[in-house]
Amino acid sequence: MFKKNRYKDFLKETGEISAFAGRFFKEGFKPRYEFAELIRQCFIIGYQSLPLVCVTAFIMGLVLTVQSRPTLEEFGAESYLPAMVAISVIREIGPVITALICAGKIGSSIGAELGSMRVTEQIDAMEVSGTNPFKYLVVTRILACTLMLPLLVIVGDTISLYASYIGVNLKGVVSWHLYYTQVFDTIDFSDLIPAFIKSYFFGFVIGLIGCYKGYNSKKGTEGVGLAANSAVVVSSLLIFILDLIAVQIADLMGLT
Amino acid sequence: MEKNPKHQSTEGIINDDKVIIVNKLYKSFGDNDVLKGFNLDLKKGENLVVLGKSGSGKSVLIKCMVGLLYPDDGEVAVLGKNIPKLDQDELDHLRVRIGFLFQSSALYDSMTVRENLEFPLRRHWISKSKEEVNELVMEALKNVGLEDAVDKMPSELSGGMRKRIGLARTLILKPEIMLYDEPTTGLDPITSREISKLIVEIQHTYQTSSIIITHDMACAKIVANRMIILVDGICYAIGTYNDLEQSKDPKIRPFFE
Repeated sequence: MFKKNRYKDFLKETGEISAFAGRFFKEGFKPRYEFAELIRQCFIIGYQSLPLVCVTAFIMGLVLTVQSRPTLEEFGAESYLPAMVAISVIREIGPVITALICAGKIGSSIGAELGSMRVTEQIDAMEVSGTNPFKYLVVTRILACTLMLPLLVIVGDTISLYASYIGVNLKGVVSWHLYYTQVFDTIDFSDLIPAFIKSYFFGFVIGLIGCYKGYNSKKGTEGVGLAANSAVVVSSLLIFILDLIAVQIADLMGLT
Repeated sequence: MEKNPKHQSTEGIINDDKVIIVNKLYKSFGDNDVLKGFNLDLKKGENLVVLGKSGSGKSVLIKCMVGLLYPDDGEVAVLGKNIPKLDQDELDHLRVRIGFLFQSSALYDSMTVRENLEFPLRRHWISKSKEEVNELVMEALKNVGLEDAVDKMPSELSGGMRKRIGLARTLILKPEIMLYDEPTTGLDPITSREISKLIVEIQHTYQTSSIIITHDMACAKIVANRMIILVDGICYAIGTYNDLEQSKDPKIRPFFE
């Protein structure tokens, strides 16, 4: 009985999230457009997440390089270190780690913010003052997440590659020019484009789930906590599922 | 010297035009039938108090009047327009003419008091120049006696101050109808009295027609021109405060004891 209900709840929520996404596309492209709020959200989501993304990307690049070196040394393939790190960072680690960091930072903050606005009747107040809260709060946040995440991924990837250069030089001497040439000889557009496209989807999922959970938050402080928590959990899980699908599609299209 | 609002005459303010007509309103949530054929009419310029126990459907009633909830059946005509039949644009236009004070004040807590008050003005392009907006903000704050709070954040305000700011934000659009959802809940008796007096002052200053949802009898006594008692989802009794106070009906008496 319990299992049956959970299964039913899961299907119901999946349907509701799909309807929520449908409403985003329906309302997002109709005037009135909330440009000022969109730019404010881009600033909050993009600019204010930048330090965290940069620090994480730097550490990831450095750690990946340092830990890969011994294995490559065993095969005498140390010179492949820049190429290997670049491929890992650009294709997989950059987008996924940035998206997970953003799911934690942005997803939870959107979930908690909209959840507390719902609980304290601020969303209702906005509606009765003649402002469409879905457009003002939800459409702007989902769009800002979708537009900002690829930019954060690009910045993150760049910093990871720079950190990897430092990592390579911790035990050995490789000039910037040599490192740079090795990296860019290895990666091409078939590496960059799928990674870039999937970042848009990651951003969309983070915004969508954060907004859905917050906007439909249950009453009370527990509801707000739950909205923030489940926004992170569900969007992180969806990021991995999307990543799996993206890899399969890229593979089928021969972009490997 | 402060005028006692109780002694301000309502002569010439109230007339027989009906601004809100609720006819046979039904609303249920699952198996819980909240409103079962509720009727109400609000005359232009009057303060109508809807009295009822917690959970009796008072808030549901006024939420149906602004389209936050949709009735299962029945008519809710506000300023001559049937709310359930309006499309989103028509509803948004009508909502500008209706003020709604929420139980929790519902101030936008990421904005200062000034930004809270400017929000409805900016959204409706009512006033474009900065000076004009500032003037309207200060006027609304003056009318609720809180000009000093203009640059504060909602979190720095007390419960009573939040109610007043919520009221100022609603009044800035000069609504024709005001709906108050439990305006004195959670406030101490002195602040409750101040808010009640303010509701009467607003009736005179802005010539609003108001519905006040409450279970606070002290508030009802100060603000009501007419009262409705909501019991079991219907309009059980209607009359002035004094009329209802004299009633011996076992369902009405508990409110006055």
